[in-house]
Amino acid sequence: MPSDKNNKIPFNEDNYTHNIERNNERKLDRRGFMKTLAGAAGVFAVSSLPWGAVAAKELMGLGEKEYPHKKITDVSKLAVGDSLEFKFPGDHDDAIIIRLNENKYVAYQNACTHLRCPVFWVKEQNQMVCPCHHGFFDAETGAPTAGPPRRPLPEIQVKVENGAIYAVRVKRYEA
Amino acid sequence: MKRSYVGVAVLAFILFLNIIFTQYMVHQFFYENYVNTLIFCGLNIVLFPIALFAYKKMKNVKA
Ligand code: FES
Repeated sequence: MPSDKNNKIPFNEDNYTHNIERNNERKLDRRGFMKTLAGAAGVFAVSSLPWGAVAAKELMGLGEKEYPHKKITDVSKLAVGDSLEFKFPGDHDDAIIIRLNENKYVAYQNACTHLRCPVFWVKEQNQMVCPCHHGFFDAETGAPTAGPPRRPLPEIQVKVENGAIYAVRVKRYEA
Repeated sequence: MKRSYVGVAVLAFILFLNIIFTQYMVHQFFYENYVNTLIFCGLNIVLFPIALFAYKKMKNVKA
């Protein structure tokens, strides 16, 4: 197809694929630069998608994995205000359960979210303490209250059945 | 031929916002504030059409 493009110099060549003019290939002109910036915005948009997708998945609770229920201890062996360490879900995943009052149990994976030191329950202070760098966690929620840790401890759901306490699942478990 | 550099400035500003939003998004993700992650992800995505629009508008503007 004969084109009259060649008769008009410079012809209006505006597309997204042929960004470089042969005679001027070393020159980045204003328009080419703007095109690059718009393309960069596109790259940012596309690369945001996986983060958004994983965040949405976490929000919808799909990240919660079910593990086989595991007996922690008997209710009678854990006094109010006491804590007990156990392993859940694997044999090397340290966890801690605290009996806050008669019917309220909370359990967390007790590897500190700072550098994974074991976190202890300190009854007198009513909070969980990481001895390594003085990190503190709220026992009710697992949220960090002071010190280096910035992320909450992964919570373990527990259930009480026939006088025994079972670990059911880990919320938002991260290895 | 004189050119207008407003478009370049606008697009550079959009790139600047992109960088900030991405930074926030990643940090909020690791702090497990997933709602904030989603917000910044959305902002990052809407910036792209805005950038395209700005480019289309400004590419032929002369001062
Ligand atoms: S490892 Fe717990 S505060 Fe550093």
